[in-house]
Amino acid sequence: MVDKNVKTYYDVICPFCGTLCDDLEIDVDQKEQKVVEVRNGCQIGTRKFYSSNPSEHRYTTPLIRENGSFKETSWDEAIDKAADILVKAKRPLLYGFASTECDAQAKGVELAEILGGILDNTASVCHGPTLLAEQDVGVPTSTLGEYKNRADLVIFWGSNPVHAHPRHLGRYSDFVRGYFRQDGRNDRFIVVVDPRNTNTAQIADLYIRVNPNEDYELFNAIRATLRGVEIDEKEVAGVPKDDIVKLVNIMKDSHYGVIFFGMGLTQTISHHRNIDAAVCLTRELNNYTKFLITPMRGHYNITGANAVFTWNTGYAYSMDFSRGYARYNPGEFSSVDVLMRDEIDASLIVASDPASNFPAGAVKNMFKHPLISIEPHHTPTSVNADIILPAAFAGIETEGTAYRMDHVPLRLRKVKDPPGNVLSDKKILERLIEKVKEKKGE
Amino acid sequence: MAEIKLKLKKQPKFPLEADVITPDILAGKPAAEIKKLLLYYGNESVKLGDFFDVMGKSTNPRDTKIIIDGDLSNVKRIGEKMTDGEIIINGDVGMHVGNQMEGGKITVNGNAGDWAGAMLKGGELEITGDAGNYIGAAYRGFWIGMENGTIKVGGKIGRESMLWARSSKGAAQFPILMCGAAGSFLGMHNHGGTIMVEGDVDRCAGADQVWGQIIIKGKVSKLLPSFKKIGETNEIELPNGQKVSGKFIEYSGDHSVNKETKGRLYLAA
Repeated sequence: MVDKNVKTYYDVICPFCGTLCDDLEIDVDQKEQKVVEVRNGCQIGTRKFYSSNPSEHRYTTPLIRENGSFKETSWDEAIDKAADILVKAKRPLLYGFASTECDAQAKGVELAEILGGILDNTASVCHGPTLLAEQDVGVPTSTLGEYKNRADLVIFWGSNPVHAHPRHLGRYSDFVRGYFRQDGRNDRFIVVVDPRNTNTAQIADLYIRVNPNEDYELFNAIRATLRGVEIDEKEVAGVPKDDIVKLVNIMKDSHYGVIFFGMGLTQTISHHRNIDAAVCLTRELNNYTKFLITPMRGHYNITGANAVFTWNTGYAYSMDFSRGYARYNPGEFSSVDVLMRDEIDASLIVASDPASNFPAGAVKNMFKHPLISIEPHHTPTSVNADIILPAAFAGIETEGTAYRMDHVPLRLRKVKDPPGNVLSDKKILERLIEKVKEKKGE
Repeated sequence: MAEIKLKLKKQPKFPLEADVITPDILAGKPAAEIKKLLLYYGNESVKLGDFFDVMGKSTNPRDTKIIIDGDLSNVKRIGEKMTDGEIIINGDVGMHVGNQMEGGKITVNGNAGDWAGAMLKGGELEITGDAGNYIGAAYRGFWIGMENGTIKVGGKIGRESMLWARSSKGAAQFPILMCGAAGSFLGMHNHGGTIMVEGDVDRCAGADQVWGQIIIKGKVSKLLPSFKKIGETNEIELPNGQKVSGKFIEYSGDHSVNKETKGRLYLAA
């Protein structure tokens, strides 16, 4: 029986990971404004749609901390108090922005500039090193559709899409049939390089077990071998020399290869230098065949955050507006570093949860100072905030634009109304900007 | 030399950006005027006199010696782009000391923060204690880092020091870094820089080196597989004509960049 109250939305973009699947079907109960069914999505994406339903975990009205507990308040008062904190701060930190849409991110840049604060997004703790390496040595890359249609060698290095980007394999990189890869999985050779025998490694044709934190040495040996240099060691980073030669031959013999890398490279000890070496290897492989490289971006719109920040300021993340213009220097202005050195005196966290991801010392210092959280539901960051400004889920309860991991912008859909007294991230930031300008007399 | 003495009055809570403290800017100004110069503190600008006591006066940069006392570990950019004269810092100093300096001398009697002497174009920077990461390195995204001049660090330096150094035989510019010990990725993307380390060095020294010399008198925790042993030597000639004697094993590399390379790494035998 068809429930008349239920409306189905087709081709909905999934606002969870950087794969940004665009084929979800969502059934929404129109009367209760509740998601009742999600089709085509992976486990994690599906859960995100359900988590937008009214529940005790969602904030429905602005909250202010008074004497240790939260008190419900009006938007006017909450915005006023939040603007007060930001205007009084000498070195405010604005962080997050990965899980919201591009218009809200642009407003974040505007607010940071008015405040003369530090502006950072979550690339700072995920693929920031990728951006650093790309600035040093460039990046030969492509869109995911090209890989789907052409790639016959796919290397997952330090990434585990079976868990982190579950539909990536089925849509672009492994099982999918492409124009020149009609036989799908059988037309592709899959290599996984990882210290752990992950679920992705278990479905690979070749699994190379590299020692933890020694990826740079392995890249280095591969690059030297590719140049025709015989390396002296019998084993590099736990990989026998013969296997390195074998891998180099597989790479050279492929028609179209791609390296998908994840935080196994960016957040292990050599950070951006791993990516530097990976990009150089990719570049050098183009002397023999077509080879490209793409980072497996995590949050669905972190690529957008980098793009929006860059077209507004020239820099993708970790910048400081204290002198009135944007200056960029990860290490000096990156949020973990400024927090560890206890250099800030207030923070505004937008659509992110640093308390779950940052080092304990950084989180402790963040909690020492006034903290404003723009957030749809309970997180370790928001429950420790002084002011909570409840936001609608971008891509579920508001429209907007998001960038896929390969820099393809897609339009997010609105499938339901947000519960209670909730505004969009963009609207909240607009109201904050207005109030801050008023208080600064601009 | 005419002396200008600065003394830090109170510890800044936020980093204090003091790029005006160079002989070029302070020379020719009376103390009262120096006190009015702007420093950046959080998102505000403050007067130099708010944080420093000032004494003395000089006429031109060449004859200026600036002596700064106090714990300056939260004061950044002292000596930025200076061209002449001398700065002596008695105490620890924050990030970017002497960055992009073109001439003159800075002595730090203490430790220095990250990016000390970054993209140095000339002159001399001496640090008696330890120094942070990216010493004499290129800033983010730059392909030309330290081009000339000398950095001497008594203690240990951090990671990725002397990144993208570039010498020029034609212009007789030979950037040199000397230190007590060094972290990982020392002299990465080296294009002609000379590095001499008295003690031990962490992994990946000389990664992506195109040409240049890295001399290590201590041990390396791990040498990159793309470096190849080519022989032993008792004397090394530096590009500026100076000679270093001692028993060294000579390696060529980084071979991951080129099959034939002029890059050398010398390790004490």
